[in-house]
Amino acid sequence: MKTKNHGEMKPKKIIITITVAIVALILILDCTFIVKESEQVIITQFGKPVGNPKTTAGLKVKLPFVQKPNYFEKRFLEWDGDPNQVPTLDKKFIFVDAYARWQISDPLQFFKRLTNERGAQSRLDDILDGETRDYIASHDLEEAVRSSNRTPIPSGTIGEEVGDTLSDITTGRQKIQSMILKSANQRASDLGIVILDFRLKRLNYVEDVRVQVYERMKSERFRIAEKFRSEGQGEASRINGEKEKDLKTIQSEAFRTAEGIRGKADARATSVYAGAYNQSAAARNLYSFAKSMETFEKTFDSTTTVILSTKSELYKYLIGPD
Amino acid sequence: MDYNQFGNFNVPPQWKKYLKNYRRILLGILVVFLLLTSLFQIEPEEVGVITRFGRYIRTVEPGLNMKIPVLERLYKVAVERQQKEEFGFRTVTPGIQTVYTKGDTENESLMLTGDLNLADVEWVVQYRIDNPYNFLFKVRDPINTLRDISEAAMRQTVGDRTVNEVLTVGRAEISNSVQTVIQDLCNEYLLGIKIEQVVLQDVNPPDPVKDAFNAVNQAQQEKETLINQARSEYNKVIPRARGQADETIQMAEGYAAERVNNALGEATRFDALYKEYIKAPDVTKRRIYLETMTSVLPRVGNKIITDDKGNNILPLLQMQLNENQKSR
Repeated sequence: MKTKNHGEMKPKKIIITITVAIVALILILDCTFIVKESEQVIITQFGKPVGNPKTTAGLKVKLPFVQKPNYFEKRFLEWDGDPNQVPTLDKKFIFVDAYARWQISDPLQFFKRLTNERGAQSRLDDILDGETRDYIASHDLEEAVRSSNRTPIPSGTIGEEVGDTLSDITTGRQKIQSMILKSANQRASDLGIVILDFRLKRLNYVEDVRVQVYERMKSERFRIAEKFRSEGQGEASRINGEKEKDLKTIQSEAFRTAEGIRGKADARATSVYAGAYNQSAAARNLYSFAKSMETFEKTFDSTTTVILSTKSELYKYLIGPD
Repeated sequence: MDYNQFGNFNVPPQWKKYLKNYRRILLGILVVFLLLTSLFQIEPEEVGVITRFGRYIRTVEPGLNMKIPVLERLYKVAVERQQKEEFGFRTVTPGIQTVYTKGDTENESLMLTGDLNLADVEWVVQYRIDNPYNFLFKVRDPINTLRDISEAAMRQTVGDRTVNEVLTVGRAEISNSVQTVIQDLCNEYLLGIKIEQVVLQDVNPPDPVKDAFNAVNQAQQEKETLINQARSEYNKVIPRARGQADETIQMAEGYAAERVNNALGEATRFDALYKEYIKAPDVTKRRIYLETMTSVLPRVGNKIITDDKGNNILPLLQMQLNENQKSR
């Protein structure tokens, strides 16, 4: 309400004050800038870099208007290669898909050489794709797939058949990766960047090689399947033969034993009989007599016809008492 | 500004009161604005990372917190929440019966094994952000980086194993190795991520060769079946044959006992008879003969007694007898 009383006299003063304040604010804003934790900054004066790069976060100062901050990433950045079709040393065509992590290590150099990230990605494409191609092409596929000469865990019957072994390698994936990393870093050494890590991500057969691999895998498995089937039949036949053998053995052994027992008994009986019947002439006589009598007893029945002479012992008295 | 000018706008009288107090109202609005921008809540599973002029200042815990408005900026990071990345498949709708899709992820899951075969491996990486500062400020696009790392680690590990290991015995060992490799790389890249677990999901031979792999399993079953059938046949026959063999032998032994005992019995009987016989051989012999005849002859059907003169009738009798036997 006070301004109302004096306002009539000093509107110009107020306008000037406000203008000065605005200009001051712009000046203050333009001579400070914020560097985030994820950034680093190069100051350029009329396009020419001045001073050291600002690599720590916080509020920084610069000359207003004439100096301009250029922001660069401080974080690890990604590089993802396009899948490349490369023949290996052993002439297998594969797709190689790799990735790398890199960082702007010298923003000034980076700014001079590559200007911005897009430039960097494009240079990285050239360098890393080229190195990848070179190293893959100068190694067998197995060297790029395997990392060590470890002994695989045996996987049971199927594994025994296919072979649970891996052939030995001399270089291996890790070494190829670190060699690519090393030579890529050499080539990138004046670009103000450092490649921290390079990895082969995907390795895959190209389509028609893949079909061939599938065919090989199939034939390998069918071979095992046939082997199993044949093994089963063989084993079954073996068991069947064993069964026949055991059966015959058991039966014949039983027969042999039984016949032996019988024979011994027959012999024993014979000797017993002989001992009794053969002790004297009278005994022999008695035996044949008694045996005849016994035979009569056993063989005569109602269908037998007996013709006896009156001269016989039995009926001789039929004729007369003398 | 001329305050009286407001009168020209026909301000309703009840509004005039507010207009008179516009300073207080502005102040009130300012206070509310400051409170809204300086007070904030952190959920239990999160922490808040605060930067001032872009520079990291502090990390705040769950609950109600304050910051300087405008100058300080807040990033919320869910450090307690377990998160996951899926490889080779995607969850479409999670739930009691979660729906998955293979979709277009075959490139992620198809990989070369150490013996240059192909396997289709699906897996999940479960992780937690354990260093929010690194997670926010050290790596651009940390999640994508984690995915790259995971794929490289899985392929490195599978590339050092046979296809059989990958498909059967090696599963647990592979997920452990992969977890170690991923964690090492996360540490190396300062991702600020802790890998809780790597879970192998479906690990299959690629679709075109699945049938062949199944054929092997089938053949293995068939083999077992054939062997079992043969064994059961063996078991059906052999024990019975053993029993029968015992039977044969026992029967022979029975025969032997009978034969010997009979012989002994008959010999004893004969001995006894003989002992008496030699005392009076003629009489005894005659007696036995006559006794035998007495017992035998009554049973005989035809008895013909002839004397010397009737010798010639014998052939006739013989013919008659023969006819009788034929007609019977």
